[in-house]
Amino acid sequence: MIRMTEETNEGICVVSPGTERLTAANASMFKEEMLALVDDGKDRLVIDFSDVTFLDSSGLGALVGLLKRVGNRGDIVVCTLADNVQQMFRITRMNKVFASYADAASAVRALKERV
Amino acid sequence: MQQQLSKPAPVQVVVADDDAFQRAYTAAILRKLGYETREAADGLEALELVRALKARILVCDLDMPGLDGHELARRVRAEFTDYYVHILMVTGQEQNRERERALEAGVDDFMRKPLDTITLKARIRTTDRLMRHEILLAERSRVLEEAKERIEEDLRAAADAQMRMLPPPRLKVADCLFHSAFKPSNFLSGDMFAFYELSPGYIGFYAIDVAGHGVHASLMSVALGHLVTAGMMRENAFTDGRPDPARLVAQLNRRFFRDDGTEYFTMFCGILEAETEQLHYCQAGYPSPLMMSRSGAAREVGDGGFPVALLDSAEFESQVTRFGAEDILVMFSDGATEAENREGLAFGESRVEAVAASAAVMPSTIPGRIVEALTEWRAGRLLDDDLTVLVCERKHVS
Repeated sequence: MIRMTEETNEGICVVSPGTERLTAANASMFKEEMLALVDDGKDRLVIDFSDVTFLDSSGLGALVGLLKRVGNRGDIVVCTLADNVQQMFRITRMNKVFASYADAASAVRALKERV
Repeated sequence: MQQQLSKPAPVQVVVADDDAFQRAYTAAILRKLGYETREAADGLEALELVRALKARILVCDLDMPGLDGHELARRVRAEFTDYYVHILMVTGQEQNRERERALEAGVDDFMRKPLDTITLKARIRTTDRLMRHEILLAERSRVLEEAKERIEEDLRAAADAQMRMLPPPRLKVADCLFHSAFKPSNFLSGDMFAFYELSPGYIGFYAIDVAGHGVHASLMSVALGHLVTAGMMRENAFTDGRPDPARLVAQLNRRFFRDDGTEYFTMFCGILEAETEQLHYCQAGYPSPLMMSRSGAAREVGDGGFPVALLDSAEFESQVTRFGAEDILVMFSDGATEAENREGLAFGESRVEAVAASAAVMPSTIPGRIVEALTEWRAGRLLDDDLTVLVCERKHVS
């Protein structure tokens, strides 16, 4: 389901979840596919939510599960969150866990500055 | 599984032909092949036999007086919809156009006159194989249907047990009245809530929403329901005698966090201190409740907090807000705000607030009104997620 839309020379990948709704129905598939990327050495990830209109608690669980797996050896940031997704990040304090950017370009720029 | 399936009944074939010799000849070949045969001299008699014997194979002539082969096929298709009757038609050499009509009428296959043993044998064997396969599938689907019924019966029993764990929809605790609505999306719910008097002047309550829904989430919600009791809250939700719900939440976080786990829950845990009219609360990813006056004026309580068991490093805070004697606290799970209508539009916080405000003069009606509004919003489709509405009304005057 996931689609990689960009890969920079620095090894930063922009990934779209490839669904409008990241929910209990597809969260574990999303997580597995993302983990396969990580296991493939791609652990500097920008998850681009431009196409995602709805994220439920299971979707959030998958994101955090991914973050736990990557741990300190990589980066996971998010960008282009819809209003309701942003609201959910705020209520669950995930805005303190995931750095969030307005668009993919600024997320990639920010990751390039992190070494 | 194979052994549970009953043996198929002996195969009966109805042979319909107005020509007595042709009929007897066909029947004789079929009997030699091991089938039981019944003969009919015209279409109507054939239809009656198929009906009476529940026959699944019909060999019929095209030209028959009264009900001809076409009409017989049409009637068979119309009448026997529970199971499939295979129709083999015997036609003359020059009846190609008739065959097209016969296919439309529902005939499966043709044999040319004069009928020979080899052709009949080949066609009937194919038909027989198909028929046995259908019977096997029908039997399997019956077994599955029975299994599904047993599972659903179990789920209903489990759902009853879960409902019995919850307080009644309306319950007075000290001078507070609690009103609630609880709607699992499918039999069992990942939601849980409770409220009780912890000590004179202190009322404790919580609402929990386990991530996901269904059986998996309900196992955890029921476990939490058994764990977080009045006694447990008394012991763990105070620090130096002062209400500290975050302490309890942090404890649950330690207890339920797993490094490799994906299970977590959101929670709102509150302790009302009647004397000071203060609500001590810890919001752990649960939607912000509404503190509402009787006139319907509302403010959100809390600006968020980490869910429980999602991160081991999560810190939880106890906060305080005023809970005046005339105030109503309205808590609702995200099943309310995230419910979408046919156009995919979420019900949202503002609609929940508007419905609650319109019922604020009679707080007991708030849960029911929210459920009604959501039912209307969903336009008859079931809720995707579990729903809980919990209303706490202070200083109830009965």
